[in-house]
Amino acid sequence: MRAEEAQLSELLVRIYENVLLTEEQALSKGYFSDLSNAEMHTLDAIGPYEARTMTETATDLGITTGTLTVAIDRLVKKGYVVRKRDEADRRIVRISLTKNGKLACRIHTKFHTVLAKRILEPYSPEDQEKLIKMVSEIDDYIASQLKRYSGSDSIRKTAKKVAEEGRRRE
Amino acid sequence: MGDNGDPRERMNDDVSLDEPKMKDLILDDLIKMLTDMLEISPTDIRPDTMIFEELDLDSLQLYELVVDLEEVYSIRMPDEDLDAVKTVGDVVDLVFRLSTQPEK
Repeated sequence: MRAEEAQLSELLVRIYENVLLTEEQALSKGYFSDLSNAEMHTLDAIGPYEARTMTETATDLGITTGTLTVAIDRLVKKGYVVRKRDEADRRIVRISLTKNGKLACRIHTKFHTVLAKRILEPYSPEDQEKLIKMVSEIDDYIASQLKRYSGSDSIRKTAKKVAEEGRRRE
Repeated sequence: MGDNGDPRERMNDDVSLDEPKMKDLILDDLIKMLTDMLEISPTDIRPDTMIFEELDLDSLQLYELVVDLEEVYSIRMPDEDLDAVKTVGDVVDLVFRLSTQPEK
């Protein structure tokens, strides 16, 4: 591997890990220390405004409604989320944030924007634009790679292919 | 905040209210919210009062205020707008602008 490749590869993993760790640390030392990072992102997916359905929210988070139900149970108990039946269609349950949930969501969004602001600050407007363009290209590329694996069937197929190739090589 | 239902009704019913009157109503609401939150006297709050330096509002208290104002006035107060807010009067101007602009 070329030095640049090794360096970028290491940086990508480290940025990913450190953003997560920083969020966790900030959460555990902040006003909402009873929330885990995953719970905070669930609140974020519900958002501070309109009530949302379980299906919509689960799709946004990339999890099943079953997994979301367990998470929402816990968030209701902690006082961050409320469940309400849809007035027009009683079969539909909508979830929305309580005042505390809205507060957590707003403060969390602020955390991310301040982080981004501090990263961009040292650069000139032209360089900021260039940086965003390059990082977007990285994001697009990685998203396109993820798409190849999306859907559990294709994951299995890909895993099978990789395993067969491995066996052939042996 | 049960008794905060009236300001919105007031605003919807009295669309004929002129700008200074509406801003006075918003200021009254804001003063009530701030005195409830900070346990200070209403006379300590003027439009030119600095919300961070003088009232010592922290970021959590600012967002508490924001969440309440959003609910009472049915508005959304984005962070970009909040970043520019320095005085009580700035908050009043922002709420006025957001609640009178046509919905996107």
